[in-house]
Amino acid sequence: MKLAHTATIAAPADRIWAAVMDIPAAARCVPGVAAVTPVGPDRFKGQLLVQIGPVRLVLDGDIAVATRDDLAKRATLRADAKDSRLGGTVRASIDVSLTERAGACELRIESDVHIAGRIGEFGQPVIQRKSDQLLAQFTQCIARSAAA
Amino acid sequence: MSITYHAPASWDEARTLLAEHGDDATVVAGGTAFTLLLRQGLIRPGHVVGLQRVPHASRIDVDAHGGIAIGAMTTHTSLEHADAIRRTWPELADAVAKVATVRVRNQATIGGSLAHADPASDAPVMLAALAAQALVVGEDGAHRVPVDELLVDTFTTSLLPTEVIRAVEVPARTPATRAVYLKYTLRSVDDYATVSVAARADMNDGRFDALRIFLGGVGPRPMRAVSVDRALTGQAADEALIADAVPLVDDDIDPIDDVRGSAAYKREMARVFTQRALTALGRMA
Repeated sequence: MKLAHTATIAAPADRIWAAVMDIPAAARCVPGVAAVTPVGPDRFKGQLLVQIGPVRLVLDGDIAVATRDDLAKRATLRADAKDSRLGGTVRASIDVSLTERAGACELRIESDVHIAGRIGEFGQPVIQRKSDQLLAQFTQCIARSAAA
Repeated sequence: MSITYHAPASWDEARTLLAEHGDDATVVAGGTAFTLLLRQGLIRPGHVVGLQRVPHASRIDVDAHGGIAIGAMTTHTSLEHADAIRRTWPELADAVAKVATVRVRNQATIGGSLAHADPASDAPVMLAALAAQALVVGEDGAHRVPVDELLVDTFTTSLLPTEVIRAVEVPARTPATRAVYLKYTLRSVDDYATVSVAARADMNDGRFDALRIFLGGVGPRPMRAVSVDRALTGQAADEALIADAVPLVDDDIDPIDDVRGSAAYKREMARVFTQRALTALGRMA
């Protein structure tokens, strides 16, 4: 499942990039994320609570910064999470890029998400919509915190 | 894993149970959706509050003006065949007759269909178009919520964990009121809709008044075609005017790709079926 989100942010590129790449702080921009803590260089662990109607997912997982180019302002993150109560895994590859455009910056987040196990039975459309909402809220929140 | 099953014998008892176990409790009406989610292992409630023993919960009342109150436990089959519905809102009876199979309709209830909030369900789309309200009971007593405000997102309602739907009320019609529900299924007739359209209007001198169009299957909840409503309210049910207004539906929906069609195809079908629904209303004028 591929998802793409963009946000135009009126703030200096360096400041936006710093906000995005401060992973524990940026993670707080995702609704339902419990504390994200570093476990090594460019590695973090955290928990995401997602409620879709009657279904509650508790995703425990790791986030790793796979590639990072601060000059070009591009990075690839990998997230691996599982819900041990319901049984299921979520694996995501997330490409983040920032480009300056006529006084503003465009933040682009492209994700490729794979879902396996019981969580997947809930139906791809539902999950896609929820992931879409989370990503949209994340980009808006980053935009707000960088513009502040 | 253990589940405690509660069978309250009154709405008050159901309210008390939900106040006590709210977050860890699931309300079960007909159980069609609940059973699937439980068997798939997607939900693990500690408490289940079954409403089967609540008396008169599947009653249908008609008031002096022709407004109806449908008990939350009324099954789709009962609704389809009820004299009270056939006399007042036969279009609603026709809409619920399009739900899945007879086995599902015999079991699934109108309250359950709203509370489950599946965006591709039939009854919620029609009820939203008819400006129906849910009578909700909770810790602070009873209050009414318009169906289109109750349904907020995929499988998500505005109900608190301590609240339950007691009845659904559909306002009375005028002699000029016309309504229609069209369901387009791509794979088999008992499937969920690729696109469904419910429309109601008061047809005064061949004009659309109080027009309400809602679409199912093309967004996270029944989506109101508010742009089309605005463009056509007060206008004649003229083929050319309808054809001009219908493309506006594109701004009011948010479909995604799934097994029932691509987002682009659903947009196309939303236009086709909105046009057919409006033409049907015009012909009934």
